[in-house]
Amino acid sequence: MIALSYYPGCSLRSSSDFYDISLKKVMAYYGVALKELDDWSCCGALAALMVNEGLSLALSARNIALAEGSGFHLVAPCSACYARTKTAARKIAEDKETRRMVNDALSPLSCNGNIEVKNIIEVFLEYIGIERIADSVSYDLAPIHAVAYYGCLLTRIMGISPSDDIEDPMGMDIILKALGVTVIPWQYKTECCGASSTITNGDVTAKLSGRLIKAVVRSGAQTIVTTCPLCQLNLDLITYLGEDIQPVPVLFLPEIFELAIFGKISGGARHIVSIRDIEQAIAPVKGHVR
Amino acid sequence: MPERFFLSEMEEMTGIAVSECYQCFRCTNGCPAARDMDIVPHRIIGYIISGERECVLSSAGLWACLQCAACSIRCPNGIDVARIFTVLRRMSVESGLAAQTNIHEFDTLMVESIARHGHMYELGTVMRYRLSRRELLKSYRMGIGMIKKRRIGLFPHNVADRNNIRSIIKKTGGRGK
Ligand code: SF4
Ligand code: SF4
Repeated sequence: MIALSYYPGCSLRSSSDFYDISLKKVMAYYGVALKELDDWSCCGALAALMVNEGLSLALSARNIALAEGSGFHLVAPCSACYARTKTAARKIAEDKETRRMVNDALSPLSCNGNIEVKNIIEVFLEYIGIERIADSVSYDLAPIHAVAYYGCLLTRIMGISPSDDIEDPMGMDIILKALGVTVIPWQYKTECCGASSTITNGDVTAKLSGRLIKAVVRSGAQTIVTTCPLCQLNLDLITYLGEDIQPVPVLFLPEIFELAIFGKISGGARHIVSIRDIEQAIAPVKGHVR
Repeated sequence: MPERFFLSEMEEMTGIAVSECYQCFRCTNGCPAARDMDIVPHRIIGYIISGERECVLSSAGLWACLQCAACSIRCPNGIDVARIFTVLRRMSVESGLAAQTNIHEFDTLMVESIARHGHMYELGTVMRYRLSRRELLKSYRMGIGMIKKRRIGLFPHNVADRNNIRSIIKKTGGRGK
């Protein structure tokens, strides 16, 4: 049994709680226990960083302090939470002045920044492993033609050796292939989706997300797979953002695991762009005995 | 009028060696927002070097940046251009030169939401933002679509130890200006 500290983050409690459910279901299947941080709080995402860097660091430090107490490595599925927490942990560990500042703000909690922060691609690859992933497949996902979309925050973290190639990450591609998905190569793996400008400047999100979706369609893929809740939501909202284009279903990586293992996605009804065609395209692996 | 100390002010504040820039344009080349900027990233860096403080701080382009960090990752001199943009935004608000205030306003509302709940309460924050701008009906259709699919939480989630959150916000100087 493997155990990890788990920081779901605000998106996985509200707009993308079905991502949380899907991830937990898949992790439980592989015997990975996700121990949710007790009384975790928001990392402040980009907003707190924009307003006040010290605040951004201290907000992340609070969750780091909770995780350090548990003694496990920390997994954060949301790319913004992952980037903020990982950046803060390094800064707290390396810079005495930052450590003093956050601990003063946090008290009575305290932290020293010595914690491993992982994203879920790393967890799948390092803790479960590609062979077990391939062995667990009960449904043939070859009819699903997908592109892997990593988004901008996952690999572009300054001052930290990235978990994957910065410009051409492969981790999710490898996982998807192991699950039997037909992975289509494309050039937009880490292009920005418009990020948090959806409310303040929806046209930008429409333009950037629209460009991504058009590229998906051109590539011949029928679906996008991602791990970032903000990317998923922006791409899923495309028809509301005013772009007149054919929308494409956008799945979270654990949802592909659900398809491969259980043949069904638990949070299917929560997708704005229907995923029915994807679910109906698959069938049990021939001659597979479980 | 150029200000001689702008470059050293920026370098000291950020610890980033801005003066190492040799204007190769790589940052701008990879920038998804460059087309929406009045001053594109490599020019912002260039203007910092030549001391064009007011021109940089009043640039509308600062607010078009999406913080995707493509510029920072690609700079051959390790200049964290995205972080420079973040710091410039704060400075432009503080100096009263900001070309627009709505993004800062929204970010501040998000921080206030964290102060209140410890978690981000998206619906409350978006409503307060729309109200303050008298544009309550903007993206109304999207809002209804999201509520139908439960893609926006109707109620806030609260951290139990909110005193700790409030003290963090207070001790770090909080919501900025
Ligand atoms: S990529 Fe770096 S060196 Fe090149 S123009 Fe931009 S900031 Fe200057
Ligand atoms: S972080 Fe901002 S300036 Fe840099 S590439 Fe992205 S949008 Fe452009």
